[in-house]
Amino acid sequence: MPLLNEEIRQEVSRFLEDLPGPVRLVMFTQEFECEYCAETRQLVEEIADLSPRITAEIYDFQADRAKAEELGVDKIPAIAVIGAQDYGVRFYGIPSGYEFSSLLHTTRSVAAGKPDLSDATLKVLGGLTKPVHIQVFVTPTCPYCPQAVVLAHQMAIASPMVRADMVEAMEFPHLAYKYQVMGVPRTVINETVHIEGAAPESMVVAKLQEALKNN
Amino acid sequence: MLDFKLTTPQREVRPSDEETYDLIILGGGPAGLTAAIYAGRARIHTLLLVGPLPGGQPANTDVVENFPGFPEGIEGPELAQRFVAQAERFGVQIVHDSVTGVDFSVRPFIVRTDSATYRAHTVIVAMGAVPRRLGVPGEDRFFGRGVSTCATCDGFFYRDKRVVVVGGGDSAIIEGLYLTRFAREVILVHRRDQLRATQIYQERAFANPKMRFVWDSVVEEILGEKTVTGVRVRNLKTGESSVIEADGVFIYIGMEPQTQIFAGQLELNERGYIVTDRYQRTSVPGVFAAGDIQDPRYRQLVVAAGTGAIAAMEVERFLEMYPQNHQ
Repeated sequence: MPLLNEEIRQEVSRFLEDLPGPVRLVMFTQEFECEYCAETRQLVEEIADLSPRITAEIYDFQADRAKAEELGVDKIPAIAVIGAQDYGVRFYGIPSGYEFSSLLHTTRSVAAGKPDLSDATLKVLGGLTKPVHIQVFVTPTCPYCPQAVVLAHQMAIASPMVRADMVEAMEFPHLAYKYQVMGVPRTVINETVHIEGAAPESMVVAKLQEALKNN
Repeated sequence: MLDFKLTTPQREVRPSDEETYDLIILGGGPAGLTAAIYAGRARIHTLLLVGPLPGGQPANTDVVENFPGFPEGIEGPELAQRFVAQAERFGVQIVHDSVTGVDFSVRPFIVRTDSATYRAHTVIVAMGAVPRRLGVPGEDRFFGRGVSTCATCDGFFYRDKRVVVVGGGDSAIIEGLYLTRFAREVILVHRRDQLRATQIYQERAFANPKMRFVWDSVVEEILGEKTVTGVRVRNLKTGESSVIEADGVFIYIGMEPQTQIFAGQLELNERGYIVTDRYQRTSVPGVFAAGDIQDPRYRQLVVAAGTGAIAAMEVERFLEMYPQNHQ
């Protein structure tokens, strides 16, 4: 039973036409698959079927420990979206609902290797000297969330100092609790700075600079 | 059950800030997207700036039951997605960006976003309305951390908890009923002694064993240290104050237009709505407005779509009749 129906498969095919470069969807599951692990694996396989430039790679979180550590994957289900290089783009939890859009949008940007950000933002990101970790907490039913996720991922593509995760709050309740997530999207930068809601690009940049000052 | 939504534009567009558009539509809700469908079919060179919520308010609504053509009702996000797909089909350039400023005193008009400046001969303003806030102590501090205006986004965090819903209209009831899927108890606080919501929603609310009603009362403060612990309400008839314990507060006390960036450029009414005539014209020739941003009275999806269609047809007329504006 496919996850994507015929209608959405056609939309996805059209969306992924002329992908500007190859993309690897590197997915981590385990032998006794976690909640949504099986579905996430199936999802990346179905997406890979829809574009000749996308390959799905499935790893076992336990057995392929070294690979997980290499990519900094610390929980499952996980997808690393990797293009010409690993930009640090990750999805933790299944990208279903509105987050399916985030996955496809980010996949296109990774394929191009070019972020869609303003010159002012690129200048700030180009000057980063310290690592930045952005975690965006979401639920699949949140229409505002993809904006925050895609923006974080664009920043990861723009700078080798930035890595950015989508974290599906319902699948990682301990993290939702740790970061006091009671509403989404909630963006956490370097553990210290929080943003509630889908903020404009310039505000996220300002918060990122604030986070670096705190460190 | 899993579903998968593709709401992002099929092709990311790199809009040119060199060229001048015939039309820029501000806002990607029912009004803006309907205008885009009409403009696209009329082959008007159009740029649509979607704004923060692609598809507009329906994207944030559980089920839409009063839009013609869907006898079983349709999920709001699904309807929103269909609007976007239909606008795309007719060749409108869609950009996920929000307007931050405009200049309607020059021709062509200027529209600014965080990252670019665009020019256009005509503009349709269709940015809708945003949820009104209570304006009480505690609200800002807990917004996004226990205070919410999006039940579909945040309902999950209130599994087996107690939540307060403020309001008595359709949205308060629809979203309150949605929250009963997660919450142990939903307490609806309303300033009057009866609901304003459509009868059919009232019947469902009264029949739901998880819903409780506190009448004639207003929320005066949102309480809590680190997290929300409750609200302080005042009964308007008796004047008595009391505390309702709750883990979260959802606010549905109506919408308000966000028209600050148009102040001094377009005529606004005393409540901040853009003033339009029956042809959706604003006080500036060539600038039209549609949907909730100019409609304090009906605020219905089907009306928003209708005014979007009118605005686009008037844009077409305007461009034909003013060839000097249409280079």
